[in-house]
Amino acid sequence: MAGPLAPERTPDTIVDEENDLDRPWVTIVWNDPVNLMNYVTFVLQELFGYDEPTATKLMLQVHHEGRAIVSSGPRERMEHDTSRLHAYGLWASYQKDS
Amino acid sequence: MKPFRARGGAVVARLDSAEAGIVGLLLDQLDQLLSADVADVGDDPVLARLLPDGHRSDPAMAADYRDLTESALRSGKGDDLATVRATLPPHGGEVRLDVDQAGAWLRTTNDLRLALGTRLDVTEDTEPPADLTDERDHQLGVYYWLTAVQGSLVDALVDARAGRR
Repeated sequence: MAGPLAPERTPDTIVDEENDLDRPWVTIVWNDPVNLMNYVTFVLQELFGYDEPTATKLMLQVHHEGRAIVSSGPRERMEHDTSRLHAYGLWASYQKDS
Repeated sequence: MKPFRARGGAVVARLDSAEAGIVGLLLDQLDQLLSADVADVGDDPVLARLLPDGHRSDPAMAADYRDLTESALRSGKGDDLATVRATLPPHGGEVRLDVDQAGAWLRTTNDLRLALGTRLDVTEDTEPPADLTDERDHQLGVYYWLTAVQGSLVDALVDARAGRR
């Protein structure tokens, strides 16, 4: 995520595109009937540093749509994020973004 | 039970003697379950829920993930369980937890609910039992009691976090 001071992207910054190829992975949290809504929101804040409105929005997406993407990046990091979610008992998996 | 409340930097609840006894028994059962063989994971829906696949459609990737993470996941759960045991008053009384201990309670009560919920086939439409006429009602009663414990713990931790800001 580029900050306000990041250089604008120009056609010859191929590095960005290479990074894009390296980053087609996502971590997904799936709905399950046991995990409490306030618990899921709390865990998403703890693990990913989301503010309360963002974490609540993701939790509601899981609840209503059955799943939500909670992080994206290189495969190794998505494996790691999945394992951190599993440690909290959330029903999570990683996959290539479709 | 007096539900969890934030107090100072800690969270505090009170369990009566029977409740502390039930938690102790459930911890023993979870402990046994978590020391089961890796090969059994696929056969037991509860174990499969506590130690889930990391990848849903690619068995090879799911196996890699399991090789990479399962022993750490099991030992983390074991550590949490030991923390809950050490902070549970065996004959009831006050439960006072710092933030790290509260994290262990949060994850372990969640595992207990996942285990019970999976065994009892709890769905989003399952209602708390009106009377406790059979074994399933009793177990469902325990499940909903744990839900109240864990729900109050989350709220207390949110309050404690707000207090630290």
